[in-house]
Amino acid sequence: MLSATSRRVALILRTVAIGIAVVWSLAPVYWMIATSFKGELEASRLDPTLWPRDATLANYVGLWSGSLPFVSFFINTVITCLATAVIAVAIATPAAYALSRGRFRLRAPIGYAILIFRMLPLVVLLAPLYLLLLHAGLLDSLAGLIVGFTTFGLPFAVWMMKSFIDAIPIEIEEAARIDGYPRWQILTRVVAPLIIPGLTTTATFVFMEAWNNLIYPLTFVTTLERQTLPAALILTFTGQFKTDWGGMMAAATLTTLPLMIAFFAVQRSMIRGLTSGAVAGA
Amino acid sequence: MASISLRHVEKRYDDILALADCNLEIADHEFVVLVGPSGSGKTTLLRIIAGLEHASAGELYFNDVCVNDVDVSDRDIAMVFQNYGLYPHMSVYDNMAFGLRRRRMAGRQIDEQVRRTAKMLGMEALLARRPRQLSGGQRQRVALGRAIVRDPAVFLLDEPLSNLDAHLRVQMRAEILKVHRAVAATAVYVTHDQVEALTMGDRIAVMNEGRIHQLGTPGELYDAPVDRFVASFIGTPAMGFLTCRIQRSPNGMELLTDSGRMRISAVQAQALGKLGADQVVVGIRPERLAIVADQEASVSDVSVRGEVEMVEMLGAEQYVHVSTEGGSLTARVPRNQPVRVAAFVTLAASATDLHLFDHETEQALR
Repeated sequence: MLSATSRRVALILRTVAIGIAVVWSLAPVYWMIATSFKGELEASRLDPTLWPRDATLANYVGLWSGSLPFVSFFINTVITCLATAVIAVAIATPAAYALSRGRFRLRAPIGYAILIFRMLPLVVLLAPLYLLLLHAGLLDSLAGLIVGFTTFGLPFAVWMMKSFIDAIPIEIEEAARIDGYPRWQILTRVVAPLIIPGLTTTATFVFMEAWNNLIYPLTFVTTLERQTLPAALILTFTGQFKTDWGGMMAAATLTTLPLMIAFFAVQRSMIRGLTSGAVAGA
Repeated sequence: MASISLRHVEKRYDDILALADCNLEIADHEFVVLVGPSGSGKTTLLRIIAGLEHASAGELYFNDVCVNDVDVSDRDIAMVFQNYGLYPHMSVYDNMAFGLRRRRMAGRQIDEQVRRTAKMLGMEALLARRPRQLSGGQRQRVALGRAIVRDPAVFLLDEPLSNLDAHLRVQMRAEILKVHRAVAATAVYVTHDQVEALTMGDRIAVMNEGRIHQLGTPGELYDAPVDRFVASFIGTPAMGFLTCRIQRSPNGMELLTDSGRMRISAVQAQALGKLGADQVVVGIRPERLAIVADQEASVSDVSVRGEVEMVEMLGAEQYVHVSTEGGSLTARVPRNQPVRVAAFVTLAASATDLHLFDHETEQALR
């Protein structure tokens, strides 16, 4: 048994440790957001202020009215990432179902092959993808970007969907067979409702991953107007934002925002409880 | 309404023989239990009857019609799964109505049938709930309801009570039998629990390693097991076995171990006489053994001496596990009989209580 004193010490140590972790990880984010609301002078002070004294939205307004097509960057990113998420999940779900429930000879090797592709570093696929897109005439286009993102996101989506489908007890499908339903109706009426949480979670992860992908847009897209937001941010680092810290932080905040929203969307749909109650002990 | 007939059914998974030459005739309305240890093939056999698995060889008949190639949905069966397999995204009502809707039944008739079944199982108040809002026993009841609501010809149950606590299990056992009588369907029930098998089955098929060892009424299995496996599997506590030497002398035949001797009946002697061997395995059920004083043992047919290894107290009685030369025996004796661990005791029984098994083949000798 611990004494009251040592329990209190343990509590303090735990609180301090958590505090350090929280401050460490949130400080840059706070700095980004705080700076985005500061005026030009305040943002470049040598003795920086912790809290913006004269909070202003000028930096955000400036993004829209400035010389760079920020709205295009934003729309480009949303379109490519959304399309990637939808396509990846649409292809991954039937594949995952086959890998989970199928009884064919090459099931395990195919599964592992997909997993190995997932292990490849992003850059390894860069050159072959570049050539493919070049010959397909898809370089410097949103479609090409979607193909690139999907190539990388698909293996992950397959494995994630497979684990969601694996978690559905096979007895539920067998019960539906005994109840007289044909295969496709079992898929639409029994399996589909049960994998929707998995579907949204997988789609969100693919979306976030595509959003964070820098090297593909930087390589495949050459026209600035077709660039994605994170890549554009980097490309314009040394240009317009040379001294405009506030503007840069506003752009960075806007880049982060959809990811935050996506993350909270996953949090909500990650309710694993949907299949609970189907089987004993669940 | 259906009789079921399995003829030379065999199941292979690649090189593994899961079922070997299974033959079974199940009469209409009968309640047959498949019992055996895990891996004995009982669930595989049930799934073949259901149509969820296909036999590698042999035929399956429902009412003398071969159904080998009839799809699950056309076999007019219902099944209760070990883990229930309820539709988690549907209410209890919809879980039961799902199968009826497929059969294009009129809405009012579906409603009537679901409510009648719910009433029979005492779960009218649960109809709007989702499976996750139910206790284990309630889920079990829903699974049962979903199976009987369709009024199937064949009712298959795969270890339906194994996830319930002991008290609920006894209660549901009675409930299932009541339901079976009410719906008058043919039922095949899989369990690894021999007590469940004995209490529920009209007839029981004892399975091990993919073979049906014996098919019979609970009484037949208990009194006349066909081999050592069935003898050891049926009955609690399990039958004890001794390996004995056969002593042939002019005035009859006696079975001996280093610490015991047994006189046998004329019928048993005749069965042993046909056997050329000089060893035999003797099985004795615990309730047939008594712990007696030595002078009493000398007049008894069977007298075996051994050391008490363990005593299990069960309230009204106690199980005494005795280690002897030739094997271990368990005796079921009254609680007031004093027994100490590590003491030596003499066990007595009568010749008619002995089950004799071939030492090599383990088949019963009679």
